[in-house]
Amino acid sequence: MLLSRRRLLASAGLGAAGVGLGASGYLIGHEAATAEAAEAAGTVPFHGEHQAGIATPAQDRLHFAAFDLETESRAELRELLEEWSQAAREMTEGRMIGAENDNLLAPPDDTGEAKGLPASNLTVTFGLGPGVFDRPGLGLAGRRPPELKPLPPLPGDELNELESGGDICVQACADDPQVVFHAVRNLARIGRGTVTMRWSQLGFGRTSTTSRGQETPRNLFGMKDGTANIKSEDTEAMNEFVWVDDGPAWMRGGSYLVSRRIRMNLEVWDRSSLADQEETIGRRKYDGAPLGGQEEFEPLPLDKTGPDGEPVIPTNCHVRLASARENGGVQILRRGYSFTDGVDQSLGELEAGLFFIAFQRDPEKQFVVLQRKLGVHDLLDEYIKHVGSAVFAVPRGAEEGGFVGEALFA
Amino acid sequence: MNRLPLRALIAAAALGLLALFVAACGSSDEAPAGSKEMTFTLTDAGCEPHNAKAPAGPINFQVENGGTGAVTELEILDGETIIGERENITEGLTRSFSLTLEEGEYTVRCNGGEEEDGTLKVTGTLKTKAGPEVEKAIADYRKYLIENTEELTARTKPFVAAVIAGEIAKAKQLYPVARINYERIEPVAESFGDLDPRIDARENDVKPSEFGGFHRIEKALWEEEDLKGMKPVAEELQEDVDELEENVKGVKLQAVQIANGANELLTEVSTSKITGEEERYSHIDLVDFKGNVEGAEDAFKTVAPLMEKQDPQLVKEIEKDFAAVYKALEPYETSKWPGVVLYGELSEADTRKLAQVIDALAEKLSLVPAQIAKGEGA
Repeated sequence: MLLSRRRLLASAGLGAAGVGLGASGYLIGHEAATAEAAEAAGTVPFHGEHQAGIATPAQDRLHFAAFDLETESRAELRELLEEWSQAAREMTEGRMIGAENDNLLAPPDDTGEAKGLPASNLTVTFGLGPGVFDRPGLGLAGRRPPELKPLPPLPGDELNELESGGDICVQACADDPQVVFHAVRNLARIGRGTVTMRWSQLGFGRTSTTSRGQETPRNLFGMKDGTANIKSEDTEAMNEFVWVDDGPAWMRGGSYLVSRRIRMNLEVWDRSSLADQEETIGRRKYDGAPLGGQEEFEPLPLDKTGPDGEPVIPTNCHVRLASARENGGVQILRRGYSFTDGVDQSLGELEAGLFFIAFQRDPEKQFVVLQRKLGVHDLLDEYIKHVGSAVFAVPRGAEEGGFVGEALFA
Repeated sequence: MNRLPLRALIAAAALGLLALFVAACGSSDEAPAGSKEMTFTLTDAGCEPHNAKAPAGPINFQVENGGTGAVTELEILDGETIIGERENITEGLTRSFSLTLEEGEYTVRCNGGEEEDGTLKVTGTLKTKAGPEVEKAIADYRKYLIENTEELTARTKPFVAAVIAGEIAKAKQLYPVARINYERIEPVAESFGDLDPRIDARENDVKPSEFGGFHRIEKALWEEEDLKGMKPVAEELQEDVDELEENVKGVKLQAVQIANGANELLTEVSTSKITGEEERYSHIDLVDFKGNVEGAEDAFKTVAPLMEKQDPQLVKEIEKDFAAVYKALEPYETSKWPGVVLYGELSEADTRKLAQVIDALAEKLSLVPAQIAKGEGA
C-alpha cells in the first residue's frame, strides 16, 4: 500500500537528516493555517456514528467511483480501508495527503490539484459490494448481512456491465468539482495494486434536497427533483428508512447505497409539450407544485379529480408511482447528481442524465419495490433508461482515530 | 515533458559533469550542508554578477528579480545543455536551486537580457564521497549498458544486411531481435542528443525528411512491403547504433539516475507500448514491453542494495510486483515469432490488465530514487 510506504519514506528522512526537521516544522504550521481557512469555508467531520455524505446536506458536486478488489488478502483489504480513511480524514479537513510533498526526488504523496482550495464540505463515503463477501480468501462470508446481495433484474434495465457493480465504492461529494476529482484520484492512486477502478462518474449538480435548509434543485428535465425526499432533520424517517440498527455490528449505523446511472433522452424530452412534461412527472415545471395543487411542498392531491373526472395527478405519472402512499409507506433517501459525459457518438446526442444514488435500510424492500413499479408503469420510462447499477453496504462511521469498516475485522 | 528530464541530466553526466541532482531542492534550507551560496540578480541588462567564480562542489543558487520584466529566468548550461534552471521569477520573487559542479566553465544564461550569457568559472576538484556499494552499483549498471549496446550492434548487423539485400521475410524475422536490447536501455540512449530520434523515432515524431531508423524500415517491411530506397536508411541505422555503443562507454552515471531510468522505462510501457503506438506497422509492441520491463528490473536490481537498509520491505514488494508483471505477460507468450502475440490480438480486457500491473509496480518504483538518495546521504 502506497501511503504507508510513503509515510515510512518520510519518517526515514526525518531520522536521517536534521535539515528535514526545520522543513517539516514549516510544513505543519502551513497546514494548520490551511485547515483554519478550510473551516471557514466549510468542513464536514469525517468521524461519527454514521459516515458523512448521507445525511450531510447534499453538496453541489460528485465524483463516484467503483473499484474491483485485486487481492484475496484480508490484511490488504484492511490496510486499504485504513489508508483510505486516513487520506479521507486529511482531505476532508482541507489538508494535503501524506507527509512527503516537498522532496524533489520523490513523487509527492498528494497529487496537488486541491492545494489552496478550501475543503468545500468534502465528504468521502465508502461502501462494500456483495462480491467482497464471496471471496473465500477474505473469509468474510460469515459477516455478510443478508440485505447485501446483487440487485435482481429489474424492468427497464439496459445495463452495461462495465458501468455496473464493483467491490468497493467511493462517493466523494463537495461544493467544488476539483476537490471531488482530487479525492477519487488520490484514493485510486493509494489503492493501486490492491484495487482497480472499474467505473467512475462525475456529477455536476445535485438533484436532491436532503435538508430543509436547501432549495429544491432541478434535474436535466428542468423539473424540481427531490421535493418529497426524506430530510435529514427528520430523525424518525432517517431511523425508519435509512439507518441500519440490527445485523452485524459493523453495519449498525450504516446504510445501503444503490446507484443507478440513468441516461436521459434529452432530445426527445425537449420536443415534448409542456403539458406532456408536466403530466409525465405530475408536477408543474416552473414552481414545482403538484398538478392540481398550489405550491411545491403541499401534500400530493392524489385523490383529487378534475372536471373530466380523471385524477389531477395522472395514474402513471412519476410522483404518484414513486409516492410513499402508493408503495405501502416505503421511502428512500435520494442523493443523486446530474451528469454529462460528452456526446453519444453512435447517435450524435448528449450523453447525459441522472446519476441516481439512494440510501436505505434494505434495498430489496425499498429501492427494488419502487423500481419494480416505476420500471413498468412510469410515463417517464419513455425518456430514460437505466444503463448502470450497483449496490453497496455502507459501514457505520469511523471512530476518532479509527477507520471505516474497522468492526468488520474485529 | 518534464522541465528537467533525466535524459538531460544523463547527458550532462555524459559530458563529464556531475550534476548532483540529489541536492537540487526547491528551497534554500534544503540545500546540502556545506553548499556555497551564490546570489544572482535578474536585471534588464541580464544576470548580475555577469561573470562569477566558485569552487567545485555543491552550490546553492539564489536567483532574485531585481525589478525587471524582461528577464524572469536563469539557466546554468554546460556547453548547450541546460543542467539547472529556475523560471517565472517575476518581480519581487526569489527562487533557488542547487547543483554540484565539477571544475570547468559554465554559461549563466538570463534569457531576454541585453547581454544574455555570462560565465561561471568553477575551479578545484570535487570531493566525491560515494561509498564502495554505490561505486559497485554504478559499475554494474555500466557493464549492463555496454553488454546491451554490444548486443544491439551485433544484432543490428544481420538485420541491416537483410534489408540491404532486399530480403523482406528475413528482415522481418530479425527486426524484433535487435529491438529488445534497445528497449532495455532506452532512457540512456535518449540522453545522447538526437541519437534516439535517429534510431527510434516514430513517423509523427520528426519531420518527414528526418524519418529514419528502425521504424522507417519497419514501415517499409510491413506497410509498404518494399525495401526500395532503404539501403541508406539501414546503413545510417548501423552507424547510429555503433555510435551509441561508443558513447555508452564514456557515460557517467549516478545511482539516483539509474533508479530514475527504471521509472522512465515503465513510463515508456504506459505511454507507448500498452497503447500499441510504438510498433504500429509490425505490432510487436509486447516485445518492446518486455524489453522495457526487463530493463527496468535490471536497473532496479543494481541499485536495490543501496536501499536495502532503509526499506527492505519496499525492495521485496517491488520484486513481487515485477514477478506479477511477468506473470501477467505469460498468457501472451508463444513459441512462434516474435515470441509474444501481436498487439492486435489483445482485447481491451487484456491491455487493461497489463496496464494495471504496470501502474501498480510503477507507483512503488517511483519511491526508489528518493530512497537511494537517502541511502547515499546517510
